Amino acid sequence: MNHALAVFSPNAVLNRSAVRALIAVQILIVILLWFFSPFVLLPKPGEVLSAFSELWEQGLGAELITSFYLNIQAIALSTIVTLLLAYATVMPFFRPIVALLSKLRFLSLVGLTFFFTLMAKSGHELKLSLLVFSVSVFFVTGMADVINGIPKEMFDLARTLRMGEWRVVWEVIVLGQIDKVFDVLRQNAAMGWMMLTMVEGIVRSEGGVGTVLLDQNHHFRLAAVFAIQLTILLLGLFQDYAIGLSKNMLCPYAALTLERK
Amino acid sequence: MASENYSFGNTLLKIDNVSVDYDGRPVLSGVTAEVKDIIVPGRIQGQVVGILGPSGCGKTTLFRVIAGLHAPTSGRVSVDGFDRPVRAGEVGVVAQSYPLFEHRTVLGNLMLGATRKEKDSRAAREKVMAYLKEFELEDKYNLYPAQLSGGQRQRCAIIQQILCSEHFLLMDEPFSGLDLIMLERTCELISKVSNMDDLNTIIVVTHDVTAACSVADHLWLMGHEPGPDGVTPPGSRIVKQYNLIDRDLCWKPGIITTAPFNNFVREVKEEFRRL
Repeated sequence: MNHALAVFSPNAVLNRSAVRALIAVQILIVILLWFFSPFVLLPKPGEVLSAFSELWEQGLGAELITSFYLNIQAIALSTIVTLLLAYATVMPFFRPIVALLSKLRFLSLVGLTFFFTLMAKSGHELKLSLLVFSVSVFFVTGMADVINGIPKEMFDLARTLRMGEWRVVWEVIVLGQIDKVFDVLRQNAAMGWMMLTMVEGIVRSEGGVGTVLLDQNHHFRLAAVFAIQLTILLLGLFQDYAIGLSKNMLCPYAALTLERK
Repeated sequence: MASENYSFGNTLLKIDNVSVDYDGRPVLSGVTAEVKDIIVPGRIQGQVVGILGPSGCGKTTLFRVIAGLHAPTSGRVSVDGFDRPVRAGEVGVVAQSYPLFEHRTVLGNLMLGATRKEKDSRAAREKVMAYLKEFELEDKYNLYPAQLSGGQRQRCAIIQQILCSEHFLLMDEPFSGLDLIMLERTCELISKVSNMDDLNTIIVVTHDVTAACSVADHLWLMGHEPGPDGVTPPGSRIVKQYNLIDRDLCWKPGIITTAPFNNFVREVKEEFRRL
């Protein structure tokens, strides 16, 4: 009874097994709602499952590999580009450049396709450059905020330990914020999947799960659309878990002060 | 009259006519003071100076100038008899929140301080472990700062700075928000650190008059005071200095319960209110 009340109490902290039980119950409710939904347009689980096996036979696995490979490449590249740019903001010369790049997140991808097509040598390169650009402008904004949010006393601490300014950058900004890099990366990697389907819709030459999704959407095959969406969701969750696990392993100190771990 | 036989040696820290303006607004105007080596025959005696002043009088600005973290608009601070302005790192700084690098363990944090002076990492580690033992933290070396209690964190921050600066330590509001027991412990800690070496000099910036009087051998009172013409200058300066040794009010256990000590605290508080 107390546990049941606790889940509705503000700022209540549940133990690990209670959290697991809560998630299991909520998933069960969603599944039951799905099974017994009166909404006729919502495909039933059985229909989604058979649509999935049909898509799998038609080569969904290969399309997923294409998309996953493209996404991993884009995340890796955008991480390198973003971190270099964000860390470069320690030098005043780079601050206006990064501020300008951050503003470019308001631009539409569709409007940029022509510009990137002129520069890219292949469909894959075009998709990759579109993805890297669209993820990086958000990633760099997040990282610039992380760096701007470092308290002055941390810089002072490093200086009172007789560190030169480059060593201050290494200790306070690079090592000191590495756990936050994982947090920002996590959000942007998720955004990468959202952009990926859009990019694969713009450049269809190489296929990919986005292309399949658009095709199924075009023919109004809702069960197949659901199957693809769920597959993307599961892949995204796996990716998210892997990033979170890496953070916990490399930065065990990061969660020590948190109430909700 | 002091019952202790003592004399002054060399000047260890000199604040020479320091002024600081922020956007043309004077915060400090002509702050001048010095800390001299106190020599007491037959024992190791460090120096503890308390800087007192009302909120907003520029204590933190003076703190940053003494630490070499902020260049004054004019004047200079020098340490150890050097004929040049103090550099960051020459004076250890323990900020109010006891900042430590959260991504490093206690040992990692202290090694950062120790290896600045001691290039041989084995010797630096031995020095760190000796300090950890001295400050009852030897079993905490592998913990992260977030796993330490407030008192442990304070001691860790002090060791880190002492390891790097060797003799000078600036502490910003070390008594803020402490209960009676922790306050006593902090005073004991300050005395312990100052008496580890004759040249050890601790400057405590605070607005806690009683705690400052109980731990310091000299007090500097900061604030705005009208000049002879009756006009109050815009920036703060050190308006009064007290020598507690001459008043026979320091280095004595249990001094804080005596009437002369309490009279002195009252006197300082009266002065404090006037500023």
